[in-house]
This record gives sequence, structure tokens and C-alpha cells, in this order.
Amino acid sequence: MRTKGARGVGRKTEIIVEAFSPVTALIGGAMIGLASALLWLGNGRIAGISGIFGQLLPPANTVTWRLVFLGAMIAGGLGAAFLIPGLGVGGPSGEPVQLVGNPLWIAISGLLVGLGTKIGNGCTSGHGVCGLARFSLRSLIAVIVFFGVATVTVAVTGVV
Amino acid sequence: MKSAVSLPYLAVATLSGTLFGSGLYVSQMIDPLKVLRFLNFGAIPSGGWDPSLAFVIVAAIGVMYIAVRIRNKQNAPLFDFKFHEPVAKQLDAPLVIGATLFGIGWGMSGICPGPAITLIAFMPENLMIFLSALFVGSFAGTYVQDWLTAKEVAA
Repeated sequence: MRTKGARGVGRKTEIIVEAFSPVTALIGGAMIGLASALLWLGNGRIAGISGIFGQLLPPANTVTWRLVFLGAMIAGGLGAAFLIPGLGVGGPSGEPVQLVGNPLWIAISGLLVGLGTKIGNGCTSGHGVCGLARFSLRSLIAVIVFFGVATVTVAVTGVV
Repeated sequence: MKSAVSLPYLAVATLSGTLFGSGLYVSQMIDPLKVLRFLNFGAIPSGGWDPSLAFVIVAAIGVMYIAVRIRNKQNAPLFDFKFHEPVAKQLDAPLVIGATLFGIGWGMSGICPGPAITLIAFMPENLMIFLSALFVGSFAGTYVQDWLTAKEVAA
């Protein structure tokens, strides 16, 4: 129930209540941590997605497990969506997930993510999860830089 | 027998990948808008900031830290001869330049490499554009990295 005059404020509150999801965030995060732990203790590999993806390109010598892992990531998302429908796709409102921006914007973004993670040797998973858990100074610097730059980019471009 | 194509090795890759992909879904990190609303610190004063992503990364680091502690007592992983530790130790220009470019790209779309892959399951419009560009950027990055490293050695 909202009065007409307070519509703007009321709407904003509604978005926050819908958006903040600490429980699923913690559970999902623990699953990502467990996935990284398994790959590290089982196969001695860092679960850094940009690295697993990026080394599919020449020179490639361990293509099989990388393809298996990436395929399983897709299947995992699909399976979880089947078991718990409407959670991750578009949030609790259940709208289909959408990319932000026009095709050119998306292409530039993809190019920068590919280029940057290759040159900087890692992304949110490799530097952010595995690197920080290993107390790697390189990863700490990378995380500070890419988180900082990303927040500035959002502030400047105003996409949300 | 320890090999990168042995059954247990590939079983670990399958289990880990499945958990990773479902974790991205459960945490809602595959939703670019959710990620952008975390990165949008400007919304903190108005109360529109969504801190969920911080909970995801803290939980993930917490669990991974246990594995790091276990690893310190092991000589080798279960199904390979050695731990493939990242070799680079020094803080150099490529690390900072790369992280900067990645930060710009991530802030533009809210998509980092993990969600980009798992989103294939849901095929939102224009995802193929992002993935193609990601592939091209990653490929080009190999040469830029070589060039930056060569420059640094020469300097």
C-alpha cells in the first residue's frame, strides 16, 4: 500500500527488498568455493574460468578437461534452473535474463573482458576466489584494480 | 594412473564444473543486472545498492581457503602429479593493465567469464556477440601479453 505522493520512494524500497538475497548468495558462493576446492585438491588446477576458457586457444595441450568443465558449467546452470526455477534468471521477479546495452556495447564489453583477463592472467574466479584464498599478492592487486575500475565504469556509464 | 584424460580426472572436472555453474545460478550471479546493482556504489546513499555479490565471494573464498590449508599438507593433488601453481609472482604492468581493461568491460555489461559460459544454458539475446568478442579478445590478448612482456624485458 502506498500513497500516490510517495510512489517513487515506495518503489525503490520494493526493489531493495526484492534484490538483496544474502541466503542464496551465501549458498551459491559456497557451491562455487566447493567447486574450486574440488578442482584444486583433485586435479591441482585453479578454477579460473578465463584461464580454463582462454587456454582452449593455441597453444592448447589440455583441451579435453577444459571442454568437459565448461560443458558441465552450462549443464549445472541448466540443472539448477530446472530444480529451482525462477531463482537466478531475472531474479525473483522471474523475468527472463537480459543483457544490458546494444550489440556494439556488448561486443566492446566482451572484447575488453577477454583481452583484460588474458593480459592480467585471471578474472573474478581465478584472482577473486582462488587467488585471495591463496593469499596471492598479485591477485589482491588485480581484484582491487578490477573491482575499483568496474564500480567507476558503472558510475560513469550509468547503465543501472 | 595419473593423466589429464583419466576417468577420475575428468569426473572431478565434471563435478566441479557442474557445482560451479549451479552455484552461479543459485547466487544469481548469472544475472548481469544483479551484478551491476552490486557494482553501483552510487546507489548506497539512496539505499538502492544490492550487496549480495559480496556474500557470494566471501562464502566462496571461505570454502576455498579450507582447500588451500589441506593442500599445504599434500605433495600432489589426487589425480595429477603436481599442483599447477600460477608461476608469476611479480607485480607488473600487464597485471594492472589487464585488470583495468577487464574492470571496464565488466562494468559495462556486468558479465565476467564464468557467467558468460553458464548463460549459454539460457541463451539471452546477444549472448553470442559477447562470447565471440570474449574469444577474440582472449586470443588477441596472448599477443598483447607477449608484446608487453617483451617490452618490459627490453626496458
